[in-house]
This record gives sequence, structure tokens and C-alpha cells, in this order.
Amino acid sequence: MLKIINYTKTYGDKKAVNDLSLHIAPGEIYGFIGHNGAGKTTTLKAIAGILQFDEGDILVDGESVKKNPLVCKSKIAYIPDNPDLYEFMSGIKYLNFIADIFGVDADKRQERIRKYADLFEITGDLAQPISAYSHGMKQKLAIVSAWVHEPKLIIMDEPFVGLDPKASHLLKGMMREFCDNGGAIFFSTHVLEVAEKLCDKVAIIKKGELIKAGTMDEVKGDTSLEEVFLELEEAK
Amino acid sequence: MIMLKALFKKQMLELNQGFFQDRKNGTVRSKAGAFVSIFLFAVLMIGVIGGIFLYLSNSLSVLITAGMSWMYFLIMGLISIALGIFGSVFNTYASLYQAKDNDLLLALPIPVRYILTVRLAGVYIMGLMYSMVVFIPALIVYYMKAELDAGKIICSLWFALLISLFVLVLSCVLGWVVAKISTKLKHKSLMTVVLSIGFMAAYYFVYFKANEMINNLIANALQTEISIKNKAYFLYATGQAAAGDVLFICIVTVVVFLILALTVWAMSRSFIAIATASDVSDKKVYTEKRVKARSVQEALLAKEMGKFLSSPNYILNCSLGTLFLIIAGAALIIKGAWIRNMLIIKMGWGADFTSVLIAGGICAVVSMNDITAPSISLEGKNLWIGQSLPVTAVQILKSKLNLHLLLTEIPALFCGICAYIACRPSFMVGMLLILVPMMYGLLCAAFGLMLNLKHPNLNWTNEVVAVKQSMNVLAVILGGWIMITVLGMGYMAVYESTSPLTFLLICFALFTLLSAIILRWLFTRGAKVFEKL
Repeated sequence: MLKIINYTKTYGDKKAVNDLSLHIAPGEIYGFIGHNGAGKTTTLKAIAGILQFDEGDILVDGESVKKNPLVCKSKIAYIPDNPDLYEFMSGIKYLNFIADIFGVDADKRQERIRKYADLFEITGDLAQPISAYSHGMKQKLAIVSAWVHEPKLIIMDEPFVGLDPKASHLLKGMMREFCDNGGAIFFSTHVLEVAEKLCDKVAIIKKGELIKAGTMDEVKGDTSLEEVFLELEEAK
Repeated sequence: MIMLKALFKKQMLELNQGFFQDRKNGTVRSKAGAFVSIFLFAVLMIGVIGGIFLYLSNSLSVLITAGMSWMYFLIMGLISIALGIFGSVFNTYASLYQAKDNDLLLALPIPVRYILTVRLAGVYIMGLMYSMVVFIPALIVYYMKAELDAGKIICSLWFALLISLFVLVLSCVLGWVVAKISTKLKHKSLMTVVLSIGFMAAYYFVYFKANEMINNLIANALQTEISIKNKAYFLYATGQAAAGDVLFICIVTVVVFLILALTVWAMSRSFIAIATASDVSDKKVYTEKRVKARSVQEALLAKEMGKFLSSPNYILNCSLGTLFLIIAGAALIIKGAWIRNMLIIKMGWGADFTSVLIAGGICAVVSMNDITAPSISLEGKNLWIGQSLPVTAVQILKSKLNLHLLLTEIPALFCGICAYIACRPSFMVGMLLILVPMMYGLLCAAFGLMLNLKHPNLNWTNEVVAVKQSMNVLAVILGGWIMITVLGMGYMAVYESTSPLTFLLICFALFTLLSAIILRWLFTRGAKVFEKL
């Protein structure tokens, strides 16, 4: 579903990400962990087509983000770490806007909005302007907007930040269900316990370099993900 | 006392932040930069506004020499109060009821009365500054023209203090009203736009009628005096207080201090409740409705329109041309007979030549719309949405152009048709009278978007910075007017050898060519620039 091939991104002289290669297959929840400034967000933004990059390529369902960005974007949903949504819109207008852009027909979008907004208990707030939403509500709205157009690949940057425990639990369930139905998820997180329990595979990045990747068992072995992560952080 | 001093210092820093910090990027200004901004502000307040009121005071000084100093002080006092309130009421609303640090200060071991005192001190200083920019010139003129004694000087100076305190009271009350209305109002943007336009209309009405009003007042000063004494004696007493009547100044002092004490008492009782009140109006509950799916281009245009309608700053600063085009069209119809009789027949300009002039005027109004000029900057932190969605940069740029064209071309068409009806030129000139301003509208839209793509500001914290304090916006409006002026002057130089039809055709061709060049850039290199933002 997602192939990152020798991806390199530089800012001026500094390499933010260097020669990163990963493969995320359909059905997989892939965690992406690393310290602050390691290059996680830079990588996720490049996959979403927001950031252009220097070397390598990123393929979404076989299509190059560089060569066919629109085709790739139509298969992706991206949720940033800070959900800066259109504050002048109401929640429902934002969801309809996203559905219009992805060409979701009226019946399907209504059904999905009802389902996911009810799940996150934001249905009653959908008529409110987004400017009146709390951080958590914006995050919930961003999640609903990602699910409303049924993408093949979901890219999430710190999706659990700002969510209440119930919403976090729901999101984990939704992620699993989405991947069980053939989708793929690539997300960054600092919450290693969540990554350990939720992810099929995990990649650890440090200062722009991939230092370890594989199935959860391959990466952590008999210890915890936290211990492995701290060891790797201190080792190099 | 140390606590109060620290709080006061914080309040002053907040009040004067604009002098020491660049609002565009939040960086600290250099000492020279701070000095220049303070100097410019002083020039504006003292030189320009103070100068205007010095001139006004001088115009009214006949009242002093005619022994009606009370009326002079009444008029200048009322103007002073009006400007003082205008200058401080929104500051009151922001600093008393919407202060971002209310929660922080209330959580610290600071007595509430200290917080209130410091907040009120900020409001008082703003009111004092704006009211005195009127009243000090009034005092200067009074001291130069009146026969003075110690009593008159003391009373007039004391009256200045009373005015500043009265401004504080009114600012607090009106600030409270604004806060209350703001939490209840459903269509805030629309109301803000309507009120602002109403205020502007009233301002210009008074500005143009001021001389006539002053002359009328001076000519009928005696009747006015009798009328005020009979119908509003307290106004007469207030004026007399400033002019040196000891009894009246004592009464006015007692009244002002009483209402001030009452206001402070009422505010201290309700400050915590007001300062921590939620800004959310009655919650609108969502009810599911049948929606109609839209095309990508329709959805993007609706999004641009939503952004536009949600921002009074954007509407007022970038689309006044729309309103003026409609007003101009209506005026052309109403004054059609005068245009035909006066300009076309009596002045002998002819319908076609007059049409050229009117087309130039319509173009000037068209260029007042600069909706595209801040449209990229206004994306701000939301830029990621457009960039991550399956839409091309060209589609996004087109939606911004379309909003500009929708709000400019329809009123320009209306105004052009009205001009056609008013001037009744030959058919071809008439068509160009309609088409030239419309093509100019397209050129302005494309030019504004190009400038904003080249010089975007996506890191603003207040959208006013993107809308008002942007070189793009200024360049589009000024550039538009310069182009019209240059073309008009060019025509004046060659009008004897160039027919109106030929000139309008040249303009149309020029605008079309320039628009085509800029649009081509926008949809090729401009789109790439957008993708890399």
C-alpha cells in the first residue's frame, strides 16, 4: 500500500530525513516512533503530498507521490498533529467540504457522518463553528473527516494527543477495523505502550536515519518497546 | 503596592506592545524601529488629528469672543467625549472582558480590585489620549482668545480631568454593552460590516457638512443658547462649568464622581463573573438535513466565500468596490439627465467622450476590490488542508480568482449598464464602456493573486496583518489607480487625434493582454509556487 524508497529531505544543508525506506502492506498498522525533531512529521507530510522532497520516491498503492500526486492524495487521508481546520466553517460544513472534494455521494456521506460523529459523540456539535471547538473536538472532527471518504491509506501524526480516554479507545478500534478491511495506517506516536499494543510493525527513526524497523516482535524481542527505544536512543 | 506597580507595568507593556513588537512576525523591533513607530504615532495624533481639532477650535473661537465660552466648551467637550469613547470602547471590550490573561491573573494571589484597577487604568489612558487630542487644542485656543483669570484656568483644566473620567465611565458601560451584544449576536460579521459602513457614511456626512453646521451654529448662536437653556439646562450648566462658573463646576464634579464611583462599584461586583464568562452564544444544535453533493470547484468556491463572509476585516478592506459599484450605478441612473444635459450637451463633451471618462471612473472603483491580494496569506495555518487534498493548485487558485470575479464583475456589469443608459453612447463605445471595466476587474484579480503568491505571509497571528498590513493589498490598489491615471493622462494628451472608440479598444486590448500573461503565469509557475509554500 505504501512504499517509501530511499526518501531524503533536506532543509538547506541539513538532512532532515536521510535515505529512508519502508514498506507498509495492506492490513498493517505501522507505528513510527522517534524523538522530537527526528523527522517523523517531515516524512508523514511528504507522504501526504504537502512537502516536496529531494531524493527517492514514495508510492501509494503503486502510484508515485511525485509523479501522480492527485491520484495518491485521493487514496490518502492525512490527520496532522495539530488539527488546524477551517475555523470559519461549522463542523458539518467542513465534513461536507471534504466529502465534496473526494466525490462522496450524498447518501454515503450522510450515513458515514452519522456513524462516526455519533461514535465520537460530536453529532450535537456539528452545527457549531469549529472556532468554538476544543482541541479534542477538532481532533475528533479531523478523524471523522478522514473516515468519511473511505481512503485506502491513513496517515496520522500523533493522533491520540488531545483525545479523551474513551475517544482514544474508539480510535484504536476504528484503526484495527480499518486495517482488517484491507486499509493501511502509518502513524507517529510518542505513546509507546499504545504503539506496542496496536501496531503490527514499527519503525524507529533517530536524527533522520531509520535505526530499526520490522514486526513488533522483531523490534522489541522479549523486552518492552520502551526499553528498546531508550536503548537505541542512547546507543548511537 | 509593589504588586500593583508590577501589574501596572504589565498593562502598559500590553498597551504599548505595538511600538516595540512587529505584529507581522512577533519579533522585537530595534530601538530605531520603536522610535520611528512612536514618532509616527505622535505625528498622527498631535500633528494630524490635533491639528484638525486646533483648526476646528479656531473656527469656533468666535463663540469665545462673543461671550459664549460655555457653548464653545460644550461643543468641544462633546466632540472630545465622542472621540475618547471611540478610541477606548473597543480597548475596554478587549482588555476588560476579553483579556487573554484574565484566568492567569485570577489564579494568582492578586486581589481582584487590583486587577480591575489596573485594567481600568489602561482604559483610562486610552480614553485620556483620544479625548485630550481634541480638548487640549480647544484649551490652547481658549487661552489665546479669552480674557483669563485664575478661576477660568483652574475650571477649564479641572473640566478636562472631568471629561477624561466621564469617558472612562462611558467606555466601561459601552464596553459592557458591546460584550453583551457580542455574546448574543448571531450574525456578527454581517452586523460588524453594516455598522462599520454606517459609521463611515455618518463620518463622511459630518465631514462634508461640518463647515455648514459650524456656520449655522455661529449664525444662530443666540437662538441656540435660548433653546439649550430652555430644553437642556444641564448642558448649559456643563458648558458654564468649564467657562469658570464655580457653582456649576462643583455640581458637575459631584455628578461625575458619583457616577464614576457607581460604575466602579458595579464593575467590582461583577468583574469575576464577566471576566470568566464563556463567549459562546446559544448553542446551535445540529439537525441532519439532506445535502447535495457539489463539484470540486463549487466546493472550493463555497469555502472561499465562507472565509470571506466570516471576516468583517476581509469584507471591509477588500470589497468596498462592490458596494461603491452598486451605488455608482444607481447614482448614474439618477443623475442620467444631468449627465446628458450638462456634460454631453452644455459642456459639449459628447456621449462617447463622456463614456470614456465614466469608464475610467468605474475602473478606479473596480480596483478598490482587492479580494485576491491577501487570499493566499489568509490560508495561514490551514494551508495543509488544500495541499493534502486531491485538488490541483490551479483549482485552488481558480477558486480564489472566482470569488474576486463573482463579487466584482456582477456589480461592474450593473454599473456599466447604468452608465450606458445614462450616457447613451454609440453601440460599440457602449459595449466597451461595459467590457473595459470588467476586463480591468479580471486584471486586478489576477495581479493581486500573483503578488500574494510571490509575497505570502502565512505566519500571522491576527488576520488583520494579512488583510490590512500587507504590501500586496496596497500595491494592488495603488497600482490600479496609477494605471488608470496614466492611461487617462495619456488619453488627454492624444484625445484630439484618437477617437473614444479607439482608446477604449486599446484599453481593452491592453487589459486582456496583461490579464492573459498573468493568468498564464498563475496557472503554470504560480501553481508550482503554491505547491511549494
